Amino acid sequence: MPQYVELTIDGASVRAPKGLSVLEAAMEYGICIPHLCHVPTLSDFGGCRLCIVERVENGRARVTASCTLRVQEDMVIRSNTERIRMLRRNIAELLVAQAPNSRAIQDIAVRCGVRRVRYPFRNQKCVLCGRCVRACAELWDARALGFVGRGKARHIDFPFGVRPEFCKQCQSCIQLCPMTITPCDGPMGPGEERLCGKCEGQLAITERAPDACVWCDLGRGFDCSRHVT
Amino acid sequence: MSATSLEEVLEGRRSQPQQLIEVLQDVQEGWGYISQPAMIAISQELGVPLIEVYRVASFYKAFSLVPRGKHLITVCMGTACHVRGAPRLGDQVTGQLQVEPGGTTSDGLFTVETVNCLGACALGPVVVLDGVYHSQMTPRKARRLIESLRETESRETVSA
Amino acid sequence: MPKLAAMEELEQLRASLAADRARASATVIVCGGPGCQASGCREVAEALREELSPDALTGSVRLRVTGCHGFCEQGPLVLVEPHDILYCRVEPGDVGEIVSATVRNGTVIERLLYMDPASGKRARSEQEIPFYRLQDRVLLALHREVDSASIADYIALGGYSTLAKVLRDYEPEQVIRQITQSGLRGRGGGGFPTGRKWASCRAAPGDEKYVICNADEGDPGAYMDRSLLEGNPHLVLEGMLIGAWAIGAERGYIYVRNEYPAALERSRRAVEQAREYGFLGEDILGSGFSFDIDVARGGGAFVCGESTALMASLEGKVGEPRPKDVHTVEEGLWGKPTTLNNVETWANVPLIMQHGAPWFAGKGTKGSKGTKIFALTGRVKNTGLVEVPMGTTLRTIVFDIGGGAADGSAVKAVQTGGPSGGCLPVEQFDLPVDFDALAKAGAMVGSGGMVVMDERTCMVDVARYFLRFLQDESCGKCVPCRVGVDRMLEIVTDITEGRGRPGQLALLEELGDTIRETALCALGKTAPNPVLSTLRHFRSEYEAHIAEGRCPAGVCRALITYTIDEERCTGCGLCREACPHGAISGETKQAHRIEQAACQRCGICIAECRYDAIVLS
Repeated sequence: MPQYVELTIDGASVRAPKGLSVLEAAMEYGICIPHLCHVPTLSDFGGCRLCIVERVENGRARVTASCTLRVQEDMVIRSNTERIRMLRRNIAELLVAQAPNSRAIQDIAVRCGVRRVRYPFRNQKCVLCGRCVRACAELWDARALGFVGRGKARHIDFPFGVRPEFCKQCQSCIQLCPMTITPCDGPMGPGEERLCGKCEGQLAITERAPDACVWCDLGRGFDCSRHVT
Repeated sequence: MSATSLEEVLEGRRSQPQQLIEVLQDVQEGWGYISQPAMIAISQELGVPLIEVYRVASFYKAFSLVPRGKHLITVCMGTACHVRGAPRLGDQVTGQLQVEPGGTTSDGLFTVETVNCLGACALGPVVVLDGVYHSQMTPRKARRLIESLRETESRETVSA
Repeated sequence: MPKLAAMEELEQLRASLAADRARASATVIVCGGPGCQASGCREVAEALREELSPDALTGSVRLRVTGCHGFCEQGPLVLVEPHDILYCRVEPGDVGEIVSATVRNGTVIERLLYMDPASGKRARSEQEIPFYRLQDRVLLALHREVDSASIADYIALGGYSTLAKVLRDYEPEQVIRQITQSGLRGRGGGGFPTGRKWASCRAAPGDEKYVICNADEGDPGAYMDRSLLEGNPHLVLEGMLIGAWAIGAERGYIYVRNEYPAALERSRRAVEQAREYGFLGEDILGSGFSFDIDVARGGGAFVCGESTALMASLEGKVGEPRPKDVHTVEEGLWGKPTTLNNVETWANVPLIMQHGAPWFAGKGTKGSKGTKIFALTGRVKNTGLVEVPMGTTLRTIVFDIGGGAADGSAVKAVQTGGPSGGCLPVEQFDLPVDFDALAKAGAMVGSGGMVVMDERTCMVDVARYFLRFLQDESCGKCVPCRVGVDRMLEIVTDITEGRGRPGQLALLEELGDTIRETALCALGKTAPNPVLSTLRHFRSEYEAHIAEGRCPAGVCRALITYTIDEERCTGCGLCREACPHGAISGETKQAHRIEQAACQRCGICIAECRYDAIVLS
C-alpha cells in the first residue's frame, strides 16, 4: 500500500504517493512545469534546471529543481511566480542560444517566454541533457555511452570514442534525444541561427494561464511527459 | 614507490568499485598516464563499467590519458600567483617551449601544465619542475631553468 | 609502543614526555611550512641537523622541524629557545654561526633579526614584531611547539588529554551543547553553525554514521588547511575523535586534495601514529568507543571541495554534486548520516572542549566567534598566515599586520573567499571580518584566502580570471553553471578585449542573478560573485573598458601597446633576448623596435629593461 502525502502546489491541494517527485505530482494534476532532462521511466538528473520551483519553508522561498525534490507532507510549492518565470526564461534563453537547431529547444524557449536572445548563437549538436546516457544504462543496462570530461569540455561519448560491441544499436538513445528533430523551417546553417518564434499563437494560450497544462502543441515538440504515452 | 605491474596496483582492491580513484592514482604514478588496456583491466577487476572508468579518468586533472613528456613543468595560476605575474611566467614557458598548457613538446621532453593553486601562495609565482618547487619565479629565471635542463638533456643524448 | 589502554596510562606518558622535553638545554626550531619549504628550509634543517649531531647523542640540544609559523615572506624562519630569538631569511651558510653563537652562547646575530622597514629597528623575538603582536594566534602558536612529524610533542603538551576528559566526563549531548554555545561556525567558507550540524547528524536515524575532514582546500591563494594538516595533524585528529564520539560515528575520512602530497603523507603518518598509541581503533583508552580514520587522496578537481561532490569522490565516482534538498547530515556518504567539516573547524574543537565555550565565545563578534586563520597574499609586504579574532577590520589585517603595499603601487582592493567570494575596495577596509558583515557587502569570509590587489591590478581582468577558473572546474552537469558561466566569461572577455557594449553590464547582472538562484550546487551558485562584486564596487573600470576602450590598470592586453622610447633605449638587447615571441628586433647599441603584430603584450620586456625605455600606453 503506497503511503500518500498532502502538499500544496500553486495553492492547489495535491495528494501524491511518497517517493514521487514534485514535478511528476504537478504534471499529474495538470500543472505545467516545463522540463527537458526529465523522462518518465528514467531516473531524474536535475541538470537542465528548467523545472525549478519555489519551495516555501519557514517564511523563505528557496529555488530548487522539482524533478529531484520528493514530495513531503505539508510541502508548499510555487511553480509559476514572476521570479520563477524570469529565471526559467533566462535558462531557456541560454539553451536556445546554445542549440537553436532543435525543435524541442525552440519549443521550450517559446513556452518559457523567450522573446529575444542576447547571446551570440552557437550551433551545438548536444545539450547534455543526459537522456541517452540514462536510457542506455537504465532501459538496457548496456552502459555503452556516458558523460566524459568536465565543465565546458563535458560531452557524451563511447569509451575511447569507439562504439563498443555490446551496444546493440537499439536506438533508444536516438529516440529520446531532443536534438533529432530540426525546427519547423528546417536546419539552420552557421550564421543562420535565430529564435524561431513560430509558435507565438501557442504562447498566447499559455500566457493566459501560465501554469495550467493545456496540452499545448509545444509539449509535443519537447517530448513533454504529458504527451509521452 | 611506484608500482611496476598492474597486478600490484589491483592487489587487495578487486571487486571494490569505490577504490577506482586510488587505483587510477597508482597507475598514473607508475606509468605517467592511463592507457586503454589499463582501463579495460581496471573495469574488469574492480567491477566498474568501462564507460565509468573512462569517465573518472577524464574528469580529474591528476589523470592523463596520453603519455607525458620526460619532464613535467607545472605553472601555478592561483590568484596570489596571478597578481604577482604568473601569466607572464606562463607566457615564458609556453613561448619558449612552443607548446600549449596540457601539451608535450614534439621531442617528448617537456609537458607543460597549469594548476589552479599549489598552496605555496606567499612566495608566488611558483613553478614546479619534476616535483621540485621554485618560488618567486620570474620569466628570466624560468628561461634559464629550461635552458639548462635542455642543455643537460642534449649532453646526455650526445654521450649516450 | 604498546597501545594506551587507559586514561591513566596516557597521563603517565604525558608526564614523562613533558619531563623529557624540559630536560633540553636549548631547542632550535625550524619552520617547515609550505612557504618556507618553497624558500629552501629543507637545506637549512639539514645543515642544522649536521651541526647539532654531537648534541643529538646527549639530547641536550634539540632540533625541531615544525609547521608554518606564519611569516612566510621572511622565511626560512629559525627560532632559538629558550632565548626566544627569531631569525629570518636564514640560509644554510648561517647555520654554523647560529649554533656556535646563539645556541651555545646566547649571543644574538643582528643581521639575521627581523628589521622593521619603517623604523629600521631590529626585533629580537616574535612579540616585538607588529606582524605577530597584532594577531591572536590560538591555533598557529601551537606550531612552534610541536615537531610536525612526531606525536610525542603533541602528547607532552597535553594532546589527546582533552579527548580522554571528554570520553570520561561528558555525554555526547553535552559536547554538542558546548560546541553550540561556543558559536563555532564552519571555517571552510559556509559558516554553518557547527553545533547545529552535529546535533542534526546525531538526531538522524541510523547506526552507521561518518565524519569527514574536508582538506580539499581548492581556493587559489589559500593554504591554511595545508599548514594545519602538515604542522599539527594530531590536533585535527583529536577534533575528529571528539566529534565522532558526540555524533555516534565509528568511521571517519580525511580527504586531502591531490595537489598536497606533503599534507597527504603527513596525515597518513599521523593516523598510523595515532593507531599505534591506541587513539584510533577499538576501545579507545578503555572507554568502549571505537573509531578509525582513512585518508583519501583527491583526483584533482576544485568541485570536490563541495561536500556532496567530495562524498561522491570518496565513493570512487566523479565529483558531481547532488541536490541538497535532503541534507548530508541525514543522507551523506553511502547514503548515511555524515558530518563533514573543514580542517580548521575540526582543529578548533579540542581547544573549545579544553578551555570551554565562554573562552571561545569571548573572542570575535556577536555572530562570528573565535579566531580565523587567513592566508594573506598578493601585493602586500608581509605575506603569510595570519590568525586574528573575528571582527578584526580588513584595514588592520592588510596595513597593520600585512605592512601595506608591497611596492610603490597603492593598495586598491582585497579579494576574499576565493572564486566564491568577492572583492572589496580599500575604502571599505573598515569592515570587520565577520560572516554576516562581509556577506552583506557582497563579499564573504570564505575559507580564509585574502589576496591583496593594487593599482596595477585590473578588476575586470580579476573577474575574467575567476570565471575562467570556474569554467575549468565546473563539473558541467547543470545548465546555469556550465553554460551560464561560459557566457559570462564570453562577455567579460569581450570587455577586456575592447569589444564591450553598453547593455552588457546589465546582462551580466541579470545572468549572474539567474545562476545564483538556479545552479545545482554552491560552486555554481557562488560563481557569479567575483563578477557581481567587482561590478558593484569597481563599475568605473568596466565602464572605462567599454566606453573608452581603456584599461585603467594597464593590464588588459588587447587595450595596451608597448613601444620603445628611442631616446632612452641604449640597445643593450636585454629585451630582445628576453622576448619569448621574437617580437623585438634591433642592432646592438642601436635603438630597438617592437614588432606590434608579433607582440603579445606579456610584459616580460618591460620587466627586463633597466633604462625605463619601454613605454606602456
